[in-house]
Amino acid sequence: MENLMIAATERSPEVEFDFAAGRLSLKGESYPEDASTVFGPIFAALERFLEQVEGRDVRFDFNLIYFNSSSAKALMNMFQLLDGAAERGVKIEVNWFYAPDDETMQEFGEDFSEDLEHVTFNLVATGD
Amino acid sequence: MPEKEAAASFNLFDAEERVLADAVALRGRLADGDPELRTGVEALAEAYRRSVREQRRLVKVSDRLQHQLASVNQELVKRRAQAEEALARLKEAQETLVQAEKLASLGALVGGVAHEINTPVGIALSCASHLADATTHMRKLFEADDIGVEDFERYMETASDTTQLILGNCERAAALIRSFKQVAVDRTSAERRRFELASYIAETLASLKPRIRQAGHRVDIDCPPGLMVEGYPGALSQVLTNFVMNSIVHGYDEGQSGRLSITVDEPAPDLIRLVYADDGRGIAEEHRTRIFDPFFTTRRGAGGTGLGLHIVYNLVTGPLEGQLSVDSEDGHGTRFTLVFPRQASGSESPVF
Repeated sequence: MENLMIAATERSPEVEFDFAAGRLSLKGESYPEDASTVFGPIFAALERFLEQVEGRDVRFDFNLIYFNSSSAKALMNMFQLLDGAAERGVKIEVNWFYAPDDETMQEFGEDFSEDLEHVTFNLVATGD
Repeated sequence: MPEKEAAASFNLFDAEERVLADAVALRGRLADGDPELRTGVEALAEAYRRSVREQRRLVKVSDRLQHQLASVNQELVKRRAQAEEALARLKEAQETLVQAEKLASLGALVGGVAHEINTPVGIALSCASHLADATTHMRKLFEADDIGVEDFERYMETASDTTQLILGNCERAAALIRSFKQVAVDRTSAERRRFELASYIAETLASLKPRIRQAGHRVDIDCPPGLMVEGYPGALSQVLTNFVMNSIVHGYDEGQSGRLSITVDEPAPDLIRLVYADDGRGIAEEHRTRIFDPFFTTRRGAGGTGLGLHIVYNLVTGPLEGQLSVDSEDGHGTRFTLVFPRQASGSESPVF
């Protein structure tokens, strides 16, 4: 299926979904006025992708430096979606990147991963 | 209940947890009941449990964001106060520098006048000395009763020549002092008065003459005689001084002599147009829009403060209540055009 590549805006993250390689990434800041315009296309593509990747390796990198409440809810929904797929047999690895001095982002990663049972979750302090 | 205990026992999600406990109890009561109902209640309870967890996280996210916002706001308030203070200090410093620059140009004026007065005073002095010598000689001859007709004639000629020269040069020095005194008083007192424009321009230029002559420039003044202006002559004098000094300092290459001109006319009744022009190297296009900005100079480190034309602009738009524009072309001289009312309303602050 076709890759989903969306450039970052001031209020939305960069989306790089390379479905062929099984490499997905969200990067930047996320505080859109309307969460559905940003996350609608992301979820649509992700759901279709996860239906057809049984047995494959998928890696999802979250490298976010700031997000608002609706983005947080969307992220939790995404985690649930990923955990469901992992339960069905997709090998999913999630990397949650945070700046070493950003305790908030580190704690959000810890909190959001509480419900993950089947996904391999890594908290990764970014270099420098 | 003591406060601490009350705080410890408080649970934001108390009601939700009780509902969950009720659901678990309900599930227990359904142990032997309809399996479909049991699974349904189980799924509902699980979904609710997850929802509560999500709610807790969202509350946390929201609180964190509020907290971040509050500290950013606090920082903003602090920075703003700092910026405002810095701006106030900067304005004060700018005002001080503007005053210093005005005094410096008054200093240049004093220097010029001193130089100018030196010549007539010097001539008068040497004439007086010559007359004194001749008189001493005459007295000796007189005491020896040895004055010839020729000696007397020569002495009379000397006396008449030297006294004429002394008178002429003293008058010239007195005139210079008079005109300078007026300019200096106007510059420092900012007094509003009526003055004749042509002679005022001439007086200001006279004070600057040594600097102009030293640079080898020529000045042409074309102003209708008898044109009376009511306003702040000190401001006008300062403006002209800054124009002339700018031309001398910036307008020409070393050793290149130029032509400066001041042309006055009345484009409309009670409106005066003064055009100051030189035929120097002009102002580069990229600098033209910035020349009236404070501290803009192409000669920083070489004595330029960047305040000369800023002061000119403030004086023209302030006390003179006029407008100022500049025309210049690279290599083809600079023209400043001032248009101001013949009679200032005085509504503008006369402090300058």
